[in-house]
Amino acid sequence: MIYLDHAAATPISSRVFDAMKPYFSEDFFNPSAAYLPAKKVASDYEAAKRVIAHAIGAKYSDLVMTAGATEANNLAFNATDGKVLYLITEHDSVRKVAEQHGGAPINVDKNGRILLDDLKSKMTDEIMLISVALVNNELGTIQPLSEIAAYIREVRLDRLSRGIKQPLYLHSDASQALNLLNVNVARLGVDLLTLNAAKIYGPKAVGALYVSRDVKLSPLSVGGGQEMGLRSGTENVPGVIGFAKAVEETCKHLNGNRKKYAKFKQIILSELKDYELINKKHSLDSFVVLCYNGIDAERLVFLLEDKGVYVSTGAACAASKGEKSHVLAAIGLSDSEIAGSLRLTFGETNSEEQIHEAAKFINEAVETERSRHA
Amino acid sequence: MPKHPKVFVGMSGGVDSSVSALLLKQQGYEVTGVYMKNWSKDLPGMKCPWAEDLADAKRIAVKLGIDFEVWDFEKEYFEKVVEYILSEFEAGNTPNPDIMCNQEIKFKLFFERAMENGADFIATGHYARIIDNELARAVDEKKDQTYFLYRISNEALMHTIFPVGKMIKSDVKKLAKENGLHNAYKKESMGVCFVGEVGMKDFLKEYIDTKPGEIREIETERVVGHHEGAIFYTIGQRHGLYISGNTGELNVGLPYYVVKKDLENNIVYVSRNLNDQNIWVDELKLRDIFLRDSKTHSNVQVRLRHLAPLIPATFDGEKLYFNQKIKRVAAGQSAVFYDGEKCLGGGVVI
Repeated sequence: MIYLDHAAATPISSRVFDAMKPYFSEDFFNPSAAYLPAKKVASDYEAAKRVIAHAIGAKYSDLVMTAGATEANNLAFNATDGKVLYLITEHDSVRKVAEQHGGAPINVDKNGRILLDDLKSKMTDEIMLISVALVNNELGTIQPLSEIAAYIREVRLDRLSRGIKQPLYLHSDASQALNLLNVNVARLGVDLLTLNAAKIYGPKAVGALYVSRDVKLSPLSVGGGQEMGLRSGTENVPGVIGFAKAVEETCKHLNGNRKKYAKFKQIILSELKDYELINKKHSLDSFVVLCYNGIDAERLVFLLEDKGVYVSTGAACAASKGEKSHVLAAIGLSDSEIAGSLRLTFGETNSEEQIHEAAKFINEAVETERSRHA
Repeated sequence: MPKHPKVFVGMSGGVDSSVSALLLKQQGYEVTGVYMKNWSKDLPGMKCPWAEDLADAKRIAVKLGIDFEVWDFEKEYFEKVVEYILSEFEAGNTPNPDIMCNQEIKFKLFFERAMENGADFIATGHYARIIDNELARAVDEKKDQTYFLYRISNEALMHTIFPVGKMIKSDVKKLAKENGLHNAYKKESMGVCFVGEVGMKDFLKEYIDTKPGEIREIETERVVGHHEGAIFYTIGQRHGLYISGNTGELNVGLPYYVVKKDLENNIVYVSRNLNDQNIWVDELKLRDIFLRDSKTHSNVQVRLRHLAPLIPATFDGEKLYFNQKIKRVAAGQSAVFYDGEKCLGGGVVI
């Protein structure tokens, strides 16, 4: 198997798995219970949250643990009862909730980067939240969050100078970012930040929302008052322990991974034939998005599947609904270019040898499709 | 080199249509697989699996190296099939959506569009045969689908191939497996997704406003329970009756049968008498009769539901007469006539 879809899912690493195991059966206690063994679990849970928080330059009390990034994104929008803006290329878990808030999309340039002028032109005094993912899940595009944050500070000051109290928050979904970027909430200037264990070799359905102390947030669900009342429900102790371990591992390998994926990218781009690279600039090296114009890339997915090579045509959730990618449309690709687009995302399961192999299989699949009509 | 005949094969992602495409390819046809998108709406609590079916169909087409297209008939399906189903239920009948889908969509719109695209033939994964240009039952009697096909036009039939009609299902599955076309995880295709998965009742609730009403015992006019809406009930139905006076209390064990519906007064009549005249009849009046040839057929064999046993009957052009009492089928269902293997047509029970 050659797995080139790490943006869709990552396998749990053995270290993460080992760290989680005791908390399923031995240390299973409810952290809220009164007896000592439960208090030990509560303290381990807190320590795990601390690890995750420190990795992004936050305090453990700034984190609300959630069942995945989708929930964290939804929760972030509970910080606002005003108008919202969101980047047009956001994941559905931001897009759909932003639409519920009557949000307006901010456009991107052909590389998928935010058009700051478009943001500025859409800014009004009613806007309370702006959501821009740190790394796009289809293109790997890195957004200039600190520039956006700087602009937001100006707007806030301007509002204050005019006696307008409406707050303005910056939210960012960083689900895809932790693998290759140093993420620091202060440096990014975000007020709300979504994290996802499932994309960094941690367990699925485990995520977190960083909430700065300035943000007034209300919960999506109420109950036992866990997570400072912002996310009731018995804590997912093994999940959060696994998340923390995954964060630790990721931070340790950050530099090595950057070099590795840059090499993979260089190999695949030099060995593939007759393609156009879509994500040319400002993109993580682990993301390679190719366009084979005139070819139906979904057919390539199935041909490659037969060879044990797993790739995708875009976000897994959009593909399964038979919808065309709104991200590729937003960067100005035509319908036929979108249909011909293939996404490869590298990860820890890959070796250099696999990348050579993959290039060979992809070339063959493209050749099969081109010759079918020749 | 002679031109290869061009065929468009309807592919659902299921094993029957997949093997059909495989056989056509092996026989030298120029094959294009088509996924007919007829329904994609998710109903509350129920995801319509059309996108998964489409992906499965496409995966098979890619493995076979054939062209693949998606033809969107969603609007037409709603107008021709769904609205028909709704109006039939509103009239107190129990219609058959598959028969209408074959008549209006697969062997009409799909056929016409295929012809416009230069097809010599269309093909589907139905278990049925064409013998001497006439519709005939499949070799695999347990899978025969002619009950659903009796109303398709002869014009379409002349240009249709049923590649698996001569095979038995187990051989179809074997062939699929040998050629790497099997989807081990995939269930049997349900045909119409919203009927198969949601159930007709939930579907109807989405579209038709119904009022609760009384369930009465027919012999005594005594109120024995309440129902959620008379249209949900079918003559002969035993299960799902809320009897004993409390709506919501399910007494499946009670042997009450639905024998009559009074839609005007929203009353469902039930009986414990298994010999009730409304259940057992020796004649059935038909409407919308569709005969596949112009000959007169007075002695026929009749099938009253998919795969039901064939019952001898005489037909006078309007009514079927049986030698013995038969259990009545619900109004709106079809009676399909056969002469040996040949399907003669049929009509809708009044």
